[in-house]
Amino acid sequence: MKGGSRRTGFTYSSLLLPSLVLVALINAYPLVYAVNASLHDGSLIQQGDFVGLGNFGSVLSDPAFWASTRFTLIFVVASVLGSWALGTVLALILRIRFPGRSLFRVLLLLPWIVPIVATSTSWAFLLGTSSGALPTLFRNLGLGDNVLFLGDPVLAQITVCVFKIWISFPFTLLMMGSALEGIDQNIYEAARVDGASRWQQFTRITLPMTARTTYVTWILMAIFTINDFPSVWLLTGGGPVGATQTMVVYAYNLVFSEFLPGLGIAVAILITGLLVVVSVLLYRMIRRSFTIA
Amino acid sequence: MTSTSTSKGPRARWAITVAMTVFTLIVLGPIIDIFVKALTPNGTGLINGATLTLDNFTFVFEQTNMLHYLWNSLAVAIATSLIAVVIGAPAGYVISRSRSRLVSGYSLLLFVIQSLPVIVFVVPMFILFSSLGLVDNLQGIVIVYVSSAIPIACWMMSSYFDTIPQSLEEAAWVDGATVFGGFRRIVLRNSLPGLMSVAIFSFLAAWNDYLIALVFLRSDAVFTLPVGLQQFFQQNQVSWGPVMAAAVLMLAPPAIVFGVFQRYFSIGGIGGALAGT
Repeated sequence: MKGGSRRTGFTYSSLLLPSLVLVALINAYPLVYAVNASLHDGSLIQQGDFVGLGNFGSVLSDPAFWASTRFTLIFVVASVLGSWALGTVLALILRIRFPGRSLFRVLLLLPWIVPIVATSTSWAFLLGTSSGALPTLFRNLGLGDNVLFLGDPVLAQITVCVFKIWISFPFTLLMMGSALEGIDQNIYEAARVDGASRWQQFTRITLPMTARTTYVTWILMAIFTINDFPSVWLLTGGGPVGATQTMVVYAYNLVFSEFLPGLGIAVAILITGLLVVVSVLLYRMIRRSFTIA
Repeated sequence: MTSTSTSKGPRARWAITVAMTVFTLIVLGPIIDIFVKALTPNGTGLINGATLTLDNFTFVFEQTNMLHYLWNSLAVAIATSLIAVVIGAPAGYVISRSRSRLVSGYSLLLFVIQSLPVIVFVVPMFILFSSLGLVDNLQGIVIVYVSSAIPIACWMMSSYFDTIPQSLEEAAWVDGATVFGGFRRIVLRNSLPGLMSVAIFSFLAAWNDYLIALVFLRSDAVFTLPVGLQQFFQQNQVSWGPVMAAAVLMLAPPAIVFGVFQRYFSIGGIGGALAGT
């Protein structure tokens, strides 16, 4: 290997440099600024007085913060597990050779490909207006005259989670699909010879052999979901009465609706802390399973 | 469960097709509905025996700024994906080949950064960009998109380069090539699928972004489709036809990108590249 020589080091540095500059300027600088801003009060234009950890204190004593934390956790657990389960089942079905398989492979990726602004608009109509498909169906089934899925707090929470699963399952399908492709078919052959049932093959071969991808999928989905802004904002705006307000939507509202950037950034930093812990832990987990495998 | 491909009879296979058709129709219902509304008068749907029409599209093209937003979105997304590839590929190569602790620290840093909520960066960047005159400006938003695509672009590229045997470059080095020469002539030349999936990923990320555009773009002239469509939707809640026609405009480019480059999504592509990290 040529690595280690001075010229290699120079080439490597210059190849890395553009990304480093960009990351430092656009990612690192704002992060430092954000930490500083979280310690001050004031407005978007004029930074106010140093208030120490006062912003964090006000945020942590706000019941709306804890409500948003609670809903964020529900949202993350439901979306990660829901989309992973659905994606895995579909990936397994798509392994079977049946007529039209390749067409379904493409069609089922659409909820992920079609922009959220478009699909949320459609969901808002189908579920949230009285002439939409689902309220009409409920009316015809006698389940209620005017069930508006985005008007009731609990129904809106369920709808937001289902929507997130709907936009994410194609991603988990791709991930799990590529993991399944990597399994040596002879292992199943051998297991069948030994008399393993379908279920045993699934729990003893398929799940362990795809465990690494499963971890990665969970991490990425958890990160995507904690950070998700548009699917909540566009569907419910965080309502009704704050029922679907995630931490990110809460932070956005603090900054851009209530004009309290110090508080909003404090919330964002709390989310960041949570994410750093989650991603470093899970990164280690992947690296470890990587070296074992 | 996964390997039963050979043991299913034709009837059982067709049963799967039927079940999957029903499932897919239900799942894609909201997307099908967009097309139905876009193609029927005033978006009434097909219930009343309405005929298909392109009136909604004519309205959107002639009476709204949607075409202008479409152009802004395309320009921004194409610029983002080109720059992300040009910056991400060399960095990904170093991350893949270098054994230095600094580089692996950098790789972890990228991983952490891409996990951070955009909302953390948005406010400080907004203030920084205001002082530089980059708010309400398409160049400004491209910079934001590139910087938010770079961490994943580097990761995707490095995991793709991991699949290219280093012996190929070593052979070139023996023949007198420099490290950079080996990268450019040997590695890059064999990395089209990896480069394509980074380009597609960054294109889609820029195309689909809503939050950054919502914060950074203030005037009609620079609106991208997501903010333009959202504003149009809020002003025209009752006229679903034109709203859905505009939604079709929004979903067309990703659908085309996906249709044309579909193999890059599966072969070493977006899912695979992430799974390989």
